[in-house]
Amino acid sequence: MTDISSLAGPLVNGILWGGLFALIGMGLSLVFGVMNLINVAHGDLVILGTYFAFFLSTGLVLRQDLPIAMDPILSLVIVMPVMFGLGFAIQKLLLNRAFTVSAEAPLIIAFGISLIIQNTALKLWSPMSRSLTPPYALDVFVIGPLRIRLVYVIAFVAALIMVFLLREFLRRTYLGRAISATAQNKKASHLMGINTDRVYSFAFAIAMAVSAVAGICLGLIFSFTPQKGIQFLIIAFGVVIIGGLGSIVGTLLGGIIMGLVMTFGGFFLNLNWQMLLLYLIVIVVLAARPQGIFGR
Amino acid sequence: MKSIISGLERFMKLTIPGLGRWSIPLVVAIVVLAVLPQVGMPRAWITYLFQFFMILTVANIWSLHAGRSGMITLCLAAFIGLAGYTMTILSYFGIPLPLGIVLGAIVAAVFAFLVFFPVYRLKGVYFAIATLVLPQILQYVFLIWDPVGIPRIGGGAGYAVRGAMLFSRVDVYWMALAVAALSTIVILVVSNSKLGLGLGAIRDNDNAAASSGVDVFRLKLYSFVIGAFIVGLAGGVLYLRSQYIQPISAFNITWQMTAIMAAVIGGLRIQGGPIVGAIIVAILYFWLSGYPGYSMLAQGIILVVIMLTVPQGIVGALGRLRGTRVHRAALQLATTIADRIKGKDNM
Repeated sequence: MTDISSLAGPLVNGILWGGLFALIGMGLSLVFGVMNLINVAHGDLVILGTYFAFFLSTGLVLRQDLPIAMDPILSLVIVMPVMFGLGFAIQKLLLNRAFTVSAEAPLIIAFGISLIIQNTALKLWSPMSRSLTPPYALDVFVIGPLRIRLVYVIAFVAALIMVFLLREFLRRTYLGRAISATAQNKKASHLMGINTDRVYSFAFAIAMAVSAVAGICLGLIFSFTPQKGIQFLIIAFGVVIIGGLGSIVGTLLGGIIMGLVMTFGGFFLNLNWQMLLLYLIVIVVLAARPQGIFGR
Repeated sequence: MKSIISGLERFMKLTIPGLGRWSIPLVVAIVVLAVLPQVGMPRAWITYLFQFFMILTVANIWSLHAGRSGMITLCLAAFIGLAGYTMTILSYFGIPLPLGIVLGAIVAAVFAFLVFFPVYRLKGVYFAIATLVLPQILQYVFLIWDPVGIPRIGGGAGYAVRGAMLFSRVDVYWMALAVAALSTIVILVVSNSKLGLGLGAIRDNDNAAASSGVDVFRLKLYSFVIGAFIVGLAGGVLYLRSQYIQPISAFNITWQMTAIMAAVIGGLRIQGGPIVGAIIVAILYFWLSGYPGYSMLAQGIILVVIMLTVPQGIVGALGRLRGTRVHRAALQLATTIADRIKGKDNM
């Protein structure tokens, strides 16, 4: 029925998409691991990063065309610090206080943030479906029978770089170790003289900086609307849940599994089945092994 | 007159144990709201109040789940959409719509019962996310599955509700009122009953509750399924009014957001909180309806501000004021003003 060699396409694309999904999952995983909070606004924050890049590359905001045209990948120089600062502010001003209010307060506040971001993006950029279209957006490598899009490779390489950087950062720097220590035991870290509130702020800010990279890669590969946030939140959560908490390499594997499910779902069935399969896997893994497949 | 009221109150206490001091205001409110369309209420108000009833219902149920049972559920849309779809599909097979609404609610309750077994084992955030995924799954199921087999509209997957034209705006208004009243009564009865006591114990500390002989699983299951049934009723009424259903809107998160907003703004764990919250959210909804998008934005900001400044909600904050200097000053001001007005009348 289907030629074995035709499966190579979805296989390679799935692995490459996995890089993007891992990038999206990384920020969620970091926040989840450090402060045990599922940031339900994560998907929206990633999309917000995409929109920042969209703004910088097209100059389009509030139906006006500003004379800006920056390469989306180059725009990282601006988007990353902006998202870092935004993350720091959200954690310092809102979430750190929420942790002292009650157990469900951070979750509800994250919901509020998600609402605010979604509707702000709707106001600024309308509900139209957009995508980042630099000149190389449709460039293709041809390797034998395979046609591989350049942007998929860019996303995958970006994911590998971020995995490496994040791992080295958490292992080697003082702040990285403080983050790991706080994730393991907040009280003990506090007693050891770590300013845990500040560590939380930095952790969230770093998660947002990673999400900025994720957002730009997302815009290069998929089309986006302000309301796509929840879809990417669930994908990110699936990545985290399959990869297991706190394991950065696991996150990469989780991303690749999600990517493969998506491309093969699209190959054998159709677009709707693709998403249904993805969500079903999340719920089944959650019900069967909430600590993750690769988690301990 | 007084004896009639106290007699009525005693009668209410006999029929609906647990309603207590709320029985008279509740009955009066329901009767007044039911009569209003008959005595020439403006048409726009029927729309306003319909929206208010729906907001109140979802807010009540979310406060039952999150405030009283300690379950952060994010799957109200699953119940709304499932019930709406059941009613719509059955309308093509000759089932009358009112019966379809009840059957839809039963389907939603059965769905809740079935998914509760795997979902219950998850704790805290895992539970919340699992429930968040459920409506998304159903959305794609209904995008793929075509149970009626007619050419569909709206993204290729929408159905018109057959026979919905036969119900007037006022009919639907009454149905919505009935659902909102039911949800309010259920909340009151549950919170004043042994079930509510057990749920409260679970919310405060589930281990302690379990070791004191509270059946944690069963009580949470009751709360979850009751909520699903009532939200299912609301879903049926909602799609009877819109006369049209499609997966993207049926399972989207808007109603869930609205429920959280109303419950939190009013006061999550406080009696009467969802009512006040629903009134505020409904007013915001219509006040800002001329500026599309700003209503949700404003609600998001209010949600964050309320949660950080008065996490017990507006009703809770007012309740806490009682006996403080501010409260006494306000009372004094009110009485002086009242005296002045009375004095004027005498002159």
